[in-house]
Amino acid sequence: MALKSTHGPFDGSMSIVYECPTCSMQTAMLTNRAETQMVRSLGVKIGGRTAPEEPMETLRSNLASGQEVSPERPAPSTGGKCPFTGMVNDAIGAAESEPEKPVWTEGALARIEAIPGYIQPMVKRNVENFALEHGCFEIDEDVMDAVRGRLGI
Amino acid sequence: MSGKGGVGKSTVTACLADGLTRLGVSTGVLDADLNGPCMARMMGVKDHKPSSQNGAMIAARNAYGVPVMSMDMFLPEDETPLVWEAPSQQGAYTWRSMVEMSALRELLSDTDWGDLDVLLIDLPPGAERFQNLADLLPDLTGAVVVSTASQTAMTVVSRSISMALNIAEVEVVGLVENMSTMVCPECGYKDRVFIGVETVEELARRHGVPYLGAIPFNVGLADFLETGRSYIEMHAEHPAAHAILEVAQRVHFWLKNQSK
Ligand SMILES: Nc1ncnc2c1ncn2[C@@H]1O[C@H](COP(=O)(O)OP(=O)(O)OP(=O)(O)O)[C@@H](O)[C@H]1O
Ligand SMILES: [Mg+2]
Repeated sequence: MALKSTHGPFDGSMSIVYECPTCSMQTAMLTNRAETQMVRSLGVKIGGRTAPEEPMETLRSNLASGQEVSPERPAPSTGGKCPFTGMVNDAIGAAESEPEKPVWTEGALARIEAIPGYIQPMVKRNVENFALEHGCFEIDEDVMDAVRGRLGI
Repeated sequence: MSGKGGVGKSTVTACLADGLTRLGVSTGVLDADLNGPCMARMMGVKDHKPSSQNGAMIAARNAYGVPVMSMDMFLPEDETPLVWEAPSQQGAYTWRSMVEMSALRELLSDTDWGDLDVLLIDLPPGAERFQNLADLLPDLTGAVVVSTASQTAMTVVSRSISMALNIAEVEVVGLVENMSTMVCPECGYKDRVFIGVETVEELARRHGVPYLGAIPFNVGLADFLETGRSYIEMHAEHPAAHAILEVAQRVHFWLKNQSK
């Protein structure tokens, strides 16, 4: 079996797909959200550590973003040579550095597509920011109506 | 510890740090209340920002040199609640206590405390917190128990003493009575705040643990502690200062006997 891809993490859980090199049969392994979180809360680093240990690393790296005052949050210290842990850590790292984005419903997307293409990305970004500011994680037509006055869509 | 909330565990911790320091005992303070941290404020170091040196976090030092470490210092605003990073806060109960144990272990072990004779650990309310600490620190020297003279508080405190002695098997240094008397700042008249069937001293006797003394309710104490200066030194004539020093002397005596 060879490592093929990872999906997620979504909501703390992720899947890792393996593929047979001869018959291409795929098998996926799904991690359990609670267990993954529990292991991480103990300060366990997937694949072992590569960077020297920082004082109060678990405390500081587990504080919700925006909470820690200083010193700088410890950098992720994982990696290693193992392709499995490398791939999993890359996926977790990418998810942690990417800000959360709301999900678009089909109706709302259709409205975006009705406006001129060159301003679509900007309008989309503005609507997403508006939604996040108002605690909406799904952008539907009601959200579009709410921003209509502000953005003139 | 006490098991009961709001009886003055943190205040007594700050007072004891003051008293023990006066007696020449090198003392540090660790705030084990991660969700309601207040020791940085009560020791007068709330503006201290944590920084690290030689692989350890530097403890804050108050005006009379006591090192302090508290979760207070890691939260940017007084209003900021302690929230741990999680994909969703809903399922977080399964691991929150694990993160808190790890965080407490780090606050204790990753801090550069300097040379200490005694480390005072201020616990949050709840007897099970003491059990967790005893699991984390099997060599815990002893527990100072705090109670008011309220019968409700004493019922909870009584259970906590039994728990410390019989379940966690940790020695009890003694029982401190807090806020059970009120001294009039004008005329010095002393009055009891709670009147019940059993006194705190009797409770101590019933459990066979030392009674360490009574710290009176003192209107200006909380504000004064926030300055980080020594109450015993600045208010030497106040009955509360005498009481604090007396409690510290008894704790010191107990510690000296322990190390023999
Ligand atoms: N001897 C005292 N004189 C005057 N005020 C006091 C005294 N002891 C405690 N207080 C006040 O009573 C309140 C509760 O005290 P403190 O926070 O020390 O209790 P606690 O047992 O640590 O509470 P918690 O269970 O929430 O940790 C505080 O506002 C404190 O300033
Ligand atoms: Mg307290």
